[in-house]
Amino acid sequence: MFLKQIDLTTALRPSYLPDEDLLFVQDNVGLYEGKYKLPSQQNGQVYLTSHRICYVDKAEPRKHSVALDLKDVERYEFYAGFLKSSAKITLVPKAAKRSSLQVWSPGVASNYSRSATSSPAQRTDSPVRSPAVDQPQASTATWVCTICSFSNPVPSNFDPSTANAHTPLPPCLACGIKPTLTHVLKAAISNATSRQPGPALLTPLPIRPSPLSEFGAAQVQMPDSPTSLNAPPRATDPDASFQCPRCTFLNHPSLLACEICGAPLISHDLPAEFTQQTRSETESPGPFLLSPLSAVPAGQDNVESIKLSFRGGGEKIFYERLKGSMTQRKWLLQGAPPIPRSSRAGDSLNGGSGLGITTGSESPAERVKIAGIAGLERRGQAMRKNNELVIGSAFEDLEALMASAKEIVALAETFARQVKGGTGGSNASENALLAESASQLGLITTKDIVGTSGGGESLYLSELARNLAEFLTDDRRGVLRKAGGIMSLVDLWAVFNRARGGVELVSPADFEKAANLWEKLELPVRLRTFRSGVMVVQGRDRTDEHTIKSLLSWLADLHEFPPDREVAWDWRAFGRGVTARDAAERFGWSIGVAEEELEMAEDRGVLCREEGIEGLRFWENFIDTGEGKAYDPVKEEQDKIVRALRDSGFI
Amino acid sequence: MSITTTTTPPFSFPREYSFPPFFTRQTNLTTHHAQLTKWASLVLAYCRHHRIFKLTLSGIPVTSSSSSASANEPTTITTTSTTPQQQKNELFHNSKINRRLSLADAREVFDFLRKDGRAEYILSNNKDSSFSAAPEGGIGGVGGGGGGGGDVVWVYWRTPEEWAALIEAWVEQTGQKGSVLTLYELTEGDTTCGTEFHGLDPDLLQKALSILVKRAKAQIFGQEDSQGVKFF
Repeated sequence: MFLKQIDLTTALRPSYLPDEDLLFVQDNVGLYEGKYKLPSQQNGQVYLTSHRICYVDKAEPRKHSVALDLKDVERYEFYAGFLKSSAKITLVPKAAKRSSLQVWSPGVASNYSRSATSSPAQRTDSPVRSPAVDQPQASTATWVCTICSFSNPVPSNFDPSTANAHTPLPPCLACGIKPTLTHVLKAAISNATSRQPGPALLTPLPIRPSPLSEFGAAQVQMPDSPTSLNAPPRATDPDASFQCPRCTFLNHPSLLACEICGAPLISHDLPAEFTQQTRSETESPGPFLLSPLSAVPAGQDNVESIKLSFRGGGEKIFYERLKGSMTQRKWLLQGAPPIPRSSRAGDSLNGGSGLGITTGSESPAERVKIAGIAGLERRGQAMRKNNELVIGSAFEDLEALMASAKEIVALAETFARQVKGGTGGSNASENALLAESASQLGLITTKDIVGTSGGGESLYLSELARNLAEFLTDDRRGVLRKAGGIMSLVDLWAVFNRARGGVELVSPADFEKAANLWEKLELPVRLRTFRSGVMVVQGRDRTDEHTIKSLLSWLADLHEFPPDREVAWDWRAFGRGVTARDAAERFGWSIGVAEEELEMAEDRGVLCREEGIEGLRFWENFIDTGEGKAYDPVKEEQDKIVRALRDSGFI
Repeated sequence: MSITTTTTPPFSFPREYSFPPFFTRQTNLTTHHAQLTKWASLVLAYCRHHRIFKLTLSGIPVTSSSSSASANEPTTITTTSTTPQQQKNELFHNSKINRRLSLADAREVFDFLRKDGRAEYILSNNKDSSFSAAPEGGIGGVGGGGGGGGDVVWVYWRTPEEWAALIEAWVEQTGQKGSVLTLYELTEGDTTCGTEFHGLDPDLLQKALSILVKRAKAQIFGQEDSQGVKFF
């Protein structure tokens, strides 16, 4: 099934997978399957994450919430809406046994099947490639050097989904200045997205790429090393020179890049039909036969395609971010091997990090093994150098930081550990909290994540409310539990903003509004306003009755245990009065909360007060015990009659 | 005169009397009402026990000697002298637990009693001009008490109507209809010994009798000092 049931958190948000990032939230969305509406999923919120699209139903979230994995999405289409029909995004699933043209056409979701169905010709042709077969081949992109504006090819082993600050980038061919990671990243992504309409041409066949695809550059065919570049017999057509499409310079046909401007030279010797034919045959011959349906250009009549109908707007941003997340393919990272640290470290030590095209396939034998103290020292040095490199490149600009967020967070955690060890672990728990919250940065609702159109503000608030509820009920943090099950809203605000690590702070006004939504959203926490106007946060199960019960049992205990000093009244009968301080100590509340709770109990008639020179004390209510009905007119009357009878009897 | 003093056992205070919060005005309305009710019944029981007819706001019994010309001075003196000086205000002051009902709270208790017709403020000028209340004391007292805020209060553990009914019943029983009795006879005479209204405050007696007068069951005549009443 394309749609899967999902687990929800206590706050009725989808529970995230590891490394999953929340990208967008939009409410008032309905689901279609094929052309028909899904009756039970017509109004809910849609969460776009880096891995999934989750639908959380508004009416019955636990029952009807579903999700679909982005990795199962083959293609997505945008429909802008017309008159009364709202904007829709269609998601076509990948059929399990089908991978063919359709796999190719989106260009972005093609990574899996390509490696699976790569032709034997490819393997025989360039054995050097085989270790890097998973590398994306969207390398026909060019990036324009910011210094000299020379168009450089994006290195063939550059994969936007796995690239990070450690990925070595070759310097500009013209001026030798290293590009920024983001720069190349953007170029690669924009290339990948713009490739969608046209069929990608990534065949490693020893033919010139077809002119049909303007991106079919020769660079595709030089995967990893210069050796493989020269290996395939290329000059099949020794006839006249041809024109560079960019600068119109007439190049020698054997040249792969323009001599003047460096633009990839497109081939001219193969007709489009032929190329396409070749590709489909070489790339995926089997499935073609297995399922003739796959030849159908689009999944229009595919019953399983899912439509998201955006009745409250927000479809454009959703589409944009969906596009982004389909391009980034973060789900690939889940099982991906870590970045080859050692080799890179070695590289940087040797000063060759800039030019060396290091891949995961680099042989471990290259590493110099040094034992003993020298080895340790060397390792430490390498580590420091590495950290320096990571931090240096990550903080170059914001997007680079985002690209290598995972590593930076990991690094920050190790630093925190070191710092903790240095200071003697006095604020260990705080550091732990901060580190933990840093790892959850991706799950925090921010204003730009939610849709702005329609009820954007209210959606933000409700998301914030859910976020808060999760924060409060999170067992690992135990925020609420530590505060005795009740804490003032102001305290919570401070803690929450601190947990956010000082970024994306929530304004007090928004915070209060979000807290007010708990009741409506039926979240497991609730906001209570005491008579004095103090607002506190409590678990939903902690009702006044609960509090009163615990108060009373405490006061009942005081009948049993003699007070500290001699008292004039009969403490066995009345117990003793308690101050707000006593209650705060006893239950772990703050004094303000204790005062309010005691007054609440007094309001309920369970306690009564005594104002003395020692301050306000609260007692069990022995005043209004029901026997106060002694002053009852009827009873008085009866008394009188009895008395009169007795009196008259005496006389 | 000595009968009341010797036969009066110490008043047994209710349980709440030794409960410290009982002396603090409760803010919860329900509790507050219960508190007032308990105080009211305590005050009435206490006054009935000690046969007190007037109280100051601080809970000290007021003898009627100052306000009335009647010759019942010895009785009231003995009544007050039975209790030592420091315990005179024991009603509102529990010295054992060192708690005391504040004046404002006491006023509230009396206000509560007044709503029930069980208490009535006595105008402060009553004290100064002793005879202003005497001629038509009952009615004048009622009128004054309604709006006044004096610091002496009638405590009607029996309302004037009830007193009137008691007197009427006694007259009927003893077959004294048509006969003339002096007011002194009614409250201090040997014949009324053992009745409830023996030792009744003269002003209160005036009030009770004036009710009977209104019902045309009695007629008051005579001078200031030696008033008489005739029952029909």
